[in-house]
Amino acid sequence: MGLSAKLRTSISIVVLGISILAWVILLVNPGHIMGVEHCHVSASGPSAASLDMLLKMNPFSSLLLGWGLMVVAMMMPKLVMPIRHIYSRSFKSRRFSSASLFVLGYIAVWMVVGVVMTAIIIAVNLLMPNSYVPAIILGVIVLIWEFSPVKQVSLNNGHEHPTLSAFGWEASRDALVFGVKHGVWCVASGWALMLLPMLLPQGHNLAMFIVTIIMVSEHLEHPQPPRWRLIFRRKLMLIAYAQTRIRLKQALNPA
Amino acid sequence: MQSRSLDDPTSWWFYAAIHGQYITNNDDPGTPVPTGYPNWGKIPGVPKVPTTPLPSQSTMDEYWDQCQHAGWFFPPWHRGYLYAIENVLRDIIISLKGPKDWALPYWNYLGPNGQYRIPPAFTQQNLPDGSPNPLFVTARYGPQGNGNIYVQIPPVSQNCQQAKSYTGAAPAYGGGKTGFEHFNGSTGYLESNPHNLVHTQVGGNSNSSSYWGLMADPGLAGLDPIFYLHHCNIDRLWAAWNAAGNSNPTDPDWLNGPTATGDRKFYMPNPDKSAWQFTPGMVNNISQLNYTYEELSLGVSTAMLSKNAMRLRNLALADDVKQDTDMDSNTESELAGANKEALKLGATGAHTTVKLDSGGWNRVAKSLKAASKTSLPDEVYLQLEGVKGDADSNIYTVSVNQQYAGHISLFGLRMASMKGGKHGGGGLTIRLDITDIVDKLHLDNDMDTSSLDVLIQPSGPVSDEGECTIERVSIYRKSQQ
Repeated sequence: MGLSAKLRTSISIVVLGISILAWVILLVNPGHIMGVEHCHVSASGPSAASLDMLLKMNPFSSLLLGWGLMVVAMMMPKLVMPIRHIYSRSFKSRRFSSASLFVLGYIAVWMVVGVVMTAIIIAVNLLMPNSYVPAIILGVIVLIWEFSPVKQVSLNNGHEHPTLSAFGWEASRDALVFGVKHGVWCVASGWALMLLPMLLPQGHNLAMFIVTIIMVSEHLEHPQPPRWRLIFRRKLMLIAYAQTRIRLKQALNPA
Repeated sequence: MQSRSLDDPTSWWFYAAIHGQYITNNDDPGTPVPTGYPNWGKIPGVPKVPTTPLPSQSTMDEYWDQCQHAGWFFPPWHRGYLYAIENVLRDIIISLKGPKDWALPYWNYLGPNGQYRIPPAFTQQNLPDGSPNPLFVTARYGPQGNGNIYVQIPPVSQNCQQAKSYTGAAPAYGGGKTGFEHFNGSTGYLESNPHNLVHTQVGGNSNSSSYWGLMADPGLAGLDPIFYLHHCNIDRLWAAWNAAGNSNPTDPDWLNGPTATGDRKFYMPNPDKSAWQFTPGMVNNISQLNYTYEELSLGVSTAMLSKNAMRLRNLALADDVKQDTDMDSNTESELAGANKEALKLGATGAHTTVKLDSGGWNRVAKSLKAASKTSLPDEVYLQLEGVKGDADSNIYTVSVNQQYAGHISLFGLRMASMKGGKHGGGGLTIRLDITDIVDKLHLDNDMDTSSLDVLIQPSGPVSDEGECTIERVSIYRKSQQ
């Protein structure tokens, strides 16, 4: 059974609200958790001293926290549909806890990946500080990945909304496993895209915003048979265009 | 049309592929083609269905695999489909010196005087001059699987005509709000019964082979000429429902079709092979398309018009309630019970126990206790979730606590279960209104129960080669407050 329009809207508002809050924190950037900062020592090339200085200026834990906030900001909009699925398939008393377990499982996967990603970010900043070369190389990998069958398989699996147990610990387990699986396919689909803004010496907020649009848009596409193809998943843009057109038409030609 | 080649947009084969096909792994909806039947190259007997020459990829992307099921575009997409094929057929008929006002006939299987039997023109293998009858197909087996084609009444009915709202969170007349959907979980009353049941009954499972009928599978159905008469009747029922004062959605997302949500457009080939792009708003009523039906009565007695009034009468309460309305945005629905294990449906059916949740079920009991014309009691639905497999042609009966709940048709099962398909292989979601059964429990003072027994049994011959799994059987309550 579908959820009432009121509940559907409430879920969207809460989930998108959390995302917006994370965006605000990222933009304010307290304690400079976003991006890697350099001084003349850390920017002088790879050495034990520069690594030491780099980690002093950018503690691993702060970078990981920044990564977590980035995941919440960028990925929460993609979780609206699975959370609605959990709400419609769970007992009222379990809806919130199951949805929370789903989000926990999902974020946990991205955080485990975040440890590796943060290490890569530090290594890149140590070896090639303030350089666009790593981002350009990753950009090429992103393009290859975007058009690959592996990407399509991951996107297809991201559409899976499994049947959930209704009672007891099995219900909690299923919600958590759903979150973990959803996270795994999301990582498989978007790992390179997510890393890209972090490798840019400048402008990663704008890059993050663009990547969010791309990731939400490709998530909205229907599943397709996996194969190599030159494809631009522009569903979000099509929706925005169609809805704007409809509303403009209504405004110009009121019934 | 049947003499034209597959890549001709005005051929019979091309038009059937617009509905759905098993020739090629078309990208959208990405239905992997089986190697054996139902691959179009493996269809038994007549007609001999071509699988080449294929149209260009862009033509297939534009036209093929469009049929809209299990959602609110089901009625308007099929209306546009019928309108377009009628134009092509009329064009051919006029060129052969036929009547200029030729129109598609409808098969009113719910009408009097034995109309439940298939029109005889479709059952003769040869025309009087000895040539093959293009209206005959071998793979049409009927409800008993013996080639005797008729519609069983009941379970087929036009009770769908009692519905008052086109769409909503709970089952409604036309289906739930969706994007471009081949098959999903928001089937409307019109689509469930009569549409789906007639498809599977007419197609059926052969008693003497492992084949099932073309009509029972959406990737084959458009090949059988009786398909178009069946759908004309469905279109007529929709027109009659509107003629009785019921409204179609005014939501721009419905009027503008799936393009409003960034999906494919609806396209049909014109007789001159150009493309006609249409939206639900362009086929909103039959007068827009300049046609009508000779019979446009609602088909259900006025005494049955308000479901809530009937219900309150059964509950020995006042029955002067207002008409049922769509309260999608205000009313809530919630899970009230579920079974534990997935079920395998085979030739013998399945049995399961649905354990009830004290919270949701108590709210149902409370609403029944407090029921009055100003406080309508909850509605209760049985939901079969994650129905997956490839046994489209099977029909089952469902009973709850030994009370008949309804027949279910698995039409569309294969496509809904394809992992690379539009729905990510989520399968079908089937709902049955069991409010009457729960009302009876209330009247018998049996609401103090912790579980309900659900029995699913085959109706008529079922294919035991095909697979069908039901991942969860649930009970939902829908508040009417």
